[in-house]
Amino acid sequence: MRISGGRPVPPALLATWLLTACVADGPSRTDTHVPGSPDPVASVVPVGIAVRNDSLEPGTLGTVRAIPVEGWMGPGGRPFEVALRTRDRESGHARRFGMITLRTTLRGSTPDLVQYPCTSCHLGRTVAMKDTRIGDAHQNIQPRHPALLGSVCSTCHSPDAVDMLALRTGERVGLDQGYRLCAQCHFAQAEAWAFGAHGKRMDGWQGRRVVMGCSDCHDPHRPAPLPRTPFRAPTILRNGGHD
Amino acid sequence: MDTPDSLRPGPLPEEGSLLRKPVDRRRALTVLAGAAVAGVQALSACRPASPLSEEEREVKLLAWREYIKGNYRFMTEAERAETIARLERQALLQRGSAVTIQSTGAQPGVVFGYAFNISKCKGFRSCVEACINENNLDRNADTQYIRIFEIEDGVVDLDHADATFQHEVPAEGHFYLGTQCFQCADPPCVKVCPVGATWQEPDGITVIDYDWCIGCRYCMAACPYWARRFNWSAPEVPVPELNTNQHYLGNRARKTGVVEKCTFCIHRTRQGRLPACAEACPTGARVFGNLLDPDSEIRWVLEHKRVFRLKEDLKTEPRFWYFSD
Repeated sequence: MRISGGRPVPPALLATWLLTACVADGPSRTDTHVPGSPDPVASVVPVGIAVRNDSLEPGTLGTVRAIPVEGWMGPGGRPFEVALRTRDRESGHARRFGMITLRTTLRGSTPDLVQYPCTSCHLGRTVAMKDTRIGDAHQNIQPRHPALLGSVCSTCHSPDAVDMLALRTGERVGLDQGYRLCAQCHFAQAEAWAFGAHGKRMDGWQGRRVVMGCSDCHDPHRPAPLPRTPFRAPTILRNGGHD
Repeated sequence: MDTPDSLRPGPLPEEGSLLRKPVDRRRALTVLAGAAVAGVQALSACRPASPLSEEEREVKLLAWREYIKGNYRFMTEAERAETIARLERQALLQRGSAVTIQSTGAQPGVVFGYAFNISKCKGFRSCVEACINENNLDRNADTQYIRIFEIEDGVVDLDHADATFQHEVPAEGHFYLGTQCFQCADPPCVKVCPVGATWQEPDGITVIDYDWCIGCRYCMAACPYWARRFNWSAPEVPVPELNTNQHYLGNRARKTGVVEKCTFCIHRTRQGRLPACAEACPTGARVFGNLLDPDSEIRWVLEHKRVFRLKEDLKTEPRFWYFSD
């Protein structure tokens, strides 16, 4: 499924890739499909390999879909998988796309671009993405990360296939493989992520290793975590009143 | 890679030690119980109109049988099943909650270890919240197993750390360090227990038999990490918030006058899941896994990151490491 090679992928190939992604449609998609809109693009993950964790105990992460991280190995040379979505509302690429209200099911995954794929506005033309100005439709994006780098939209986004990310090699990858984009600069973090010292493992310590992707925690446009009010402080210090 | 001895769980008490002797107390009490039940039956035979309803009788009988049972560690499988059935029945009769109590044993070839990334923790205390809910901690006394310390950059000094911060976090110029039970390989709390109510399991988790604990709190005095908590009153958990997935040695109902502590979520981790704190952490600061698996994330962290433990000079060998990016 991975698009390989170091050159831009022709749109026709991309279309084929997206179409094949439709094959394994899951029931979760159908209830949100708006009649008259284009056929929803489904998961690239066969339903059978979704990680189950559907207890609703506090702190659990819900049902997780995951795809193999191709070409990367974890500790002991073992393959691992990246989760495509979480139930954590704080995370994800989702809500921060600006005035366009995206469903919160968009979680850093190209096949999850269902209701408002980028191509619904940017279809059939190359977006300039030349300056650092954020377009009106995306004015809620806080471009702190690009501002620090002096980069423009096309540093990361593909101007010719707007649902895709652009690697420095010219290769186009889906949002599922956002880690490949981030790892181009953040290679130390990427190594720690692959081996389990950075990022978050889901579902369990045993068996399949499923980890969250970069944009599950970091807003790519504003990667630093937002400050929060902490959960309540302890009332009993150490062993009681004898500190 | 060979596992250092310090990572292996402690041995069982030697043959012939006090704990291995046939517990005469139990037998004596069983005989007494038999006599008492016989007495009660004799009395009720005299007075056919017993004031106790069927359910009240059952509650009393369950309580009495629970009172005379043995130390969990030395129970047979059948005895464990019996006490678990009684405890589940008690929970249903007395609290109206249908709980499931596991007696899942340690997995072979597994010793749990934990690593905590002090450059990632932001002091949100999401772990604390998850722990309270997962382990049915006392809402009345606000028991918390995990403590997050806010420390000024530059030095790890817990004496000048603040665990009571309530401002927006992360605070400028500070880092955060969480403590809980470290499941030491050489646990001082176990050594001082006068009744053998706390011990180390083969997977390295130090557990407590709440029904064998006499509440002397020696273990709390012995623990250098302030990891244990005492129940001055019976823990109160609203039934809708009760976690019904329980373990005999973990988050089942505690009572007044016994000690409890973090068990690395024994009811979850023995089934391959992560502890609730690790699962709830929004920053990924918590790494959990099997120390005996050379291909585990925890082993990679221990081998590739600069790690330290608290109060290493005490030689308690905590299985809880701190590391930074």
